[in-house]
Amino acid sequence: MTAFLVGAITAVAVLLAVLGVASTLARRRIGLLHLGVAGVLEVLLLVQAAVAGIAMLGGDTPADTPTFLGYLGGIVLVPVAGGLWARSEQTRWAGTVMAVAAAVVGVMAWRLLQLWEAARA
Amino acid sequence: MPEKRTREDLALGAPAVEGGGGSPGGSGAGRVLVAVYGTFALAAGARAGVQLGTRFSEAPVAYLLSAFAAVVYIVATVGLVRGGRGGRRTALAAISVELVGVLVVGTLSLTDRAAFPDETVWSAYGRGYYFVPLVLPVLGLLLLRRTGQKSPPPKSPPPKSPPPKSP
Repeated sequence: MTAFLVGAITAVAVLLAVLGVASTLARRRIGLLHLGVAGVLEVLLLVQAAVAGIAMLGGDTPADTPTFLGYLGGIVLVPVAGGLWARSEQTRWAGTVMAVAAAVVGVMAWRLLQLWEAARA
Repeated sequence: MPEKRTREDLALGAPAVEGGGGSPGGSGAGRVLVAVYGTFALAAGARAGVQLGTRFSEAPVAYLLSAFAAVVYIVATVGLVRGGRGGRRTALAAISVELVGVLVVGTLSLTDRAAFPDETVWSAYGRGYYFVPLVLPVLGLLLLRRTGQKSPPPKSPPPKSPPPKSP
């Protein structure tokens, strides 16, 4: 759980959101580009989950552990759910669905960092 | 017409089809709203679960409100997805409750801080969630109105019996 990782996740999430909105504006469905970026995002989230998990096994647990674990597990599912949903969506709103998922990931990542830092406060 | 996908279509997405299904959540824009509603149903539900499970006695009112908000979001989501008259009415009721809830709780949480020692989804008009809880019901009501105008109830009742009037 580092600010760097959260920063990278945010950057990719913002990129995905922009791509999603762009395809809605262009009246297109989503393509491999979106799925690829969503894949990169997912990998980053899995890395984050692993980093946090290892730190927690080492005894470095955040103050509000249940909530933290909820976010940590939940955030990993969001790009997958968003990607599957957007891929099956035939209208131009597929990209916006993807963008919503990306925005949710961005917000959740910062909330995770907040919860993590609260342990140190 | 053969479905020929160019490389551009593959990478950037094929041209979209227009329109959608009969339910409010069936139109493309409606499905985006359903996605947001689903997210909030999950977020509020998970939050309420954690709060009620780990520290119910600290702020029972706030935590029960979280749980109530979660139920409202779930009902709204289901109503939007199901569509039809029943689903539409369900969604309308849930979204109205939601709008009233966010306004009342938002106001109370600012004027009577003691009653809300911990955050709920609706505290300070949903500030903790970037005011999405405040915007969402408005968008929901707009969507219900728009889809209601565009596609009047697809099932026409049998001509012999008049449509049931609610008392």
